[in-house]
Amino acid sequence: MPGHRTKTFRTSAAALALCALLAGCSGSAESADGGKVVLRYTWWGNPDRAERTERAVALFEERHPDIEVRTSFSGYDAYKQKLATQAAGGDAPDVMQLDYRQIDQYASGGVLLDLAQQRDALRTSAIDPGLLATGRVDGTQYAVPQGRGTETVVYDVAAWKASGVPLPREGWSWDEWADAMRALARKTGRPGSVDPGQSEDAFEVWLRGQGKSLYTGDGGLGFTVDDLTRWWTFTDVLRREGAVSPAEQTTQLDGSVENTPLGRGTAVSDFNWDAPASGYAALIEGGVALGPMPSGADGTPGQYFKPSMFLGVSADSPHADAAARLVDFMINDALAGDILGATRGIPVNETVRKRTEPLLTGFDRTIADFQDSLEGALEDPPQAPPSGDNALQTTFARDYDQVSYERMSPREAAEDYVTEAKAELRS
Amino acid sequence: MTTTDVPAAPDRRARTPGGATERRPRRRREGAAWVFLSPWVLGATVLTLLPMAVSLYLSFTDYNLFDPPRWVGLRNYTQMFTEDPRYWRSVRTTLLYVALAVPLQLALALLVALALKSVKRGKGFYRSAFYAPSLLGASMSIALVWRAVFNDGGTVDNLLGTGGWVNRPGWSLLAVALLTVWQFGAPMVIFLAGLQQIPPELYEAAAVDGAGKWRQFVSVTLPMLSPVLFFNLVLQTIQAFQVFTPAFAVSAGKGGPADSTLVYTLYLYDRGFVASHMGYASAMAWVLLLAIGAVTAVLFRTSRSWVFYASEGDR
Repeated sequence: MPGHRTKTFRTSAAALALCALLAGCSGSAESADGGKVVLRYTWWGNPDRAERTERAVALFEERHPDIEVRTSFSGYDAYKQKLATQAAGGDAPDVMQLDYRQIDQYASGGVLLDLAQQRDALRTSAIDPGLLATGRVDGTQYAVPQGRGTETVVYDVAAWKASGVPLPREGWSWDEWADAMRALARKTGRPGSVDPGQSEDAFEVWLRGQGKSLYTGDGGLGFTVDDLTRWWTFTDVLRREGAVSPAEQTTQLDGSVENTPLGRGTAVSDFNWDAPASGYAALIEGGVALGPMPSGADGTPGQYFKPSMFLGVSADSPHADAAARLVDFMINDALAGDILGATRGIPVNETVRKRTEPLLTGFDRTIADFQDSLEGALEDPPQAPPSGDNALQTTFARDYDQVSYERMSPREAAEDYVTEAKAELRS
Repeated sequence: MTTTDVPAAPDRRARTPGGATERRPRRRREGAAWVFLSPWVLGATVLTLLPMAVSLYLSFTDYNLFDPPRWVGLRNYTQMFTEDPRYWRSVRTTLLYVALAVPLQLALALLVALALKSVKRGKGFYRSAFYAPSLLGASMSIALVWRAVFNDGGTVDNLLGTGGWVNRPGWSLLAVALLTVWQFGAPMVIFLAGLQQIPPELYEAAAVDGAGKWRQFVSVTLPMLSPVLFFNLVLQTIQAFQVFTPAFAVSAGKGGPADSTLVYTLYLYDRGFVASHMGYASAMAWVLLLAIGAVTAVLFRTSRSWVFYASEGDR
C-alpha cells in the first residue's frame, strides 16, 4: 500500500513539475486577440507627446479594426537602454522610434527592416529627398525621419523680461551669452542658465561656431584636449561666479525636463532641442520662449537642423506589412498630422506640413516660428555620428561632473575624456 | 510490522549483498531523485551554468549586442587594468562601501539582537518589526523613497540642514550604505539564534566570578558568538561587494555625483547596457568573482585566530 501511494505521488509530482516548466516556456508575445494583429510601438518623449501619439494611434486602430497597437514610452536615457537590450535579445518592437545616433548601429546590426520591401504600404514620395536620405545606411532606407529639430536657448519669459537683460538675438556670441547669464544671475538672484558644460550637444554647437566638429569624416575625434579644456574652463568659471547652475543641480540632469533647474524654477534658461522644450511650458507659469543658440565670435552659426525621431520597423516583425502601414499613417496621414502637430518637429511630409503649419497653435506655433527664423541661416548638419557616440554622451557628462565638483581641473578631465573617447571609437 | 519492499538502510546488511532484488528498487529510487531534482538541475544549468560559460567566453570578445562577438583575447582585461581610470575609481568606491556598510550593519544587527534577547512581552512583534526593513528594503520603491529622503529639501536636509546627501560626493555613498545597514534583519535573526545557544550557566559562572555586564559580553558572549559572527561577516561581505540596487536607485542610475556612488556592479551595468560593451562587462564580472573569492579566502584564513568553536574548546 505505501509503495503504491509513493508511486502515484511520484507520477503526479513529475507531471506537476512538467506542467510548471511548460507554463514557463509558453506564453509567447504573439497572442492573437480574437484574430487581431498585435503591433508593439515604442518611442521616447514627454507626457504631452504621449497623449497626442495615443490619440493618433486610436485613429489608426479605428481605420484598421484588425490591428491592435500596444504602445509604450519613457524618457530618452531609459528608452535607449531598454531598446538596445530588446534588440539584442531579438525582441525589438515592431515599430520603434530611433535617434540619428542609433540608426547606424541598428541598421548594421540587422535589427531594422529594409523599408523598400514595404514600399506599397509605406509611401515616401512626399518627403524632401535630402531629409529622407538621412534614414539611409549604405544606400538602404532603414528608417524615416518624422521631423527635424534644432538646439535652442529656452527661457522663462516672465523672469527674463522682468530682469531687463536684453533678450537672446540671432547671431549673438558665446561671450555675449555669458554676459547675459551674469546679468541675469545678478538681477534675478538665480543662475541664468543650466550649466552647459555637461552637454555634448552644447559643446558641439560651440565647436561648430569655430569651424570644428565633434567627429571627423572617418569617425575619429574632431577636436583636441585643448578645445575641450577651453570649453570646460569657460563653463567652470561661469559656475564659480554663480552665472550657471551649481554642481548639485547640474548632476541631477537625466534627459527629462522635470529634473532640470529651469523646470524646477531654479534657473532662468536652459539649452535643449526645440521639440522637447514644449515640456517646460507646462512647468513654468509665465511660459517659455525659444532663442537662437550663441554663435562663434565671427558670427559662424553652430546650431543646425538635425533630422529627428526616425521610425523604423523590426526586421523580425511577423507583421511587417501592418507595421509599415502604421509608419505610413504617422508620417503621411493628414488627420494624424493634425493630431500630432509639431510634437516631433515640423512634419516631413510636404503636403501634411503645408496643411498643418498654418494651423499650429500654442507651443507648436512657437517651434514653427523659431525654425522659420533660422531658415537659410544655418550650415549643413554633420553626418550621422559613429555608433560609439552613444556611450560618449554619458561619459561627457560624467567627466564634467569631476570638474564641477572641483575634483579635477578642466584639463585633467578633458585628458580623461579624450583617452576614453579614443578607446571607444577604436572598438 | 511487516517489511515493505523499500529497504531501510540498516536492513541492508541483513540481506544478501548484491542481490538483484535489492538493486532494482535502488536504481528506481535514484531515478525518482533525479525527477524531483530536475527543476533545480534544469534551472541551474540553463539559467546559471550556461550563462556563466557564455559570459566567460564573451569576456575575451568585443561584443556590442548587435554584431556577432569578435575575439580579442585579453584586451578587455588589459584595458580594464591599464586604460580605464573610471574602473579603478569604481574599485575604490566599492571597497569604501564594503568597509562602511558591513561593520555598521553587523554592529546594529548585534545590538538589536542583544536588546531583543531580553524582551519578554511582545517578542514576536518586535522581531517582525525589526525584520520588516529587510523585506521592504530590496524593493525599488523604498530605494526611491530613500533618494527623496536624502535629496535637496528632503527629510534629512530639513532636519539636519546639511543639504541633500545624494548630490554631494562626500556624503552620497553614506546614504547608499545606510540603506543597506537599515536592512539588518537577516544577520539579526541569525545573531538571535546564536545568542540563545549560549548556555546560561556560563553567565551564572561569570556573575559568580564577579564579572559585570560588559565583562560578560566581552568574555562570554563574543567568544561564544564568534562562529555566528564569522558566518554573518562572510555573508554580508560577499553581498556588499555585489551591491547594485541601492546605488542604482539613490544615484538615479548614474553612480553620481562625480562617480561617488559608482560601485563596481553599477559600472559593470553601465559598460554592458549603456555603452553596449558586453565583452568588457563580462570581463569585469569575472574579475569581481575572483576578487570576492580571494577576499572570502582571506576571511577564512584570519578566522582561525579569532573564531572559537565550543567543540574544540579543550584545545
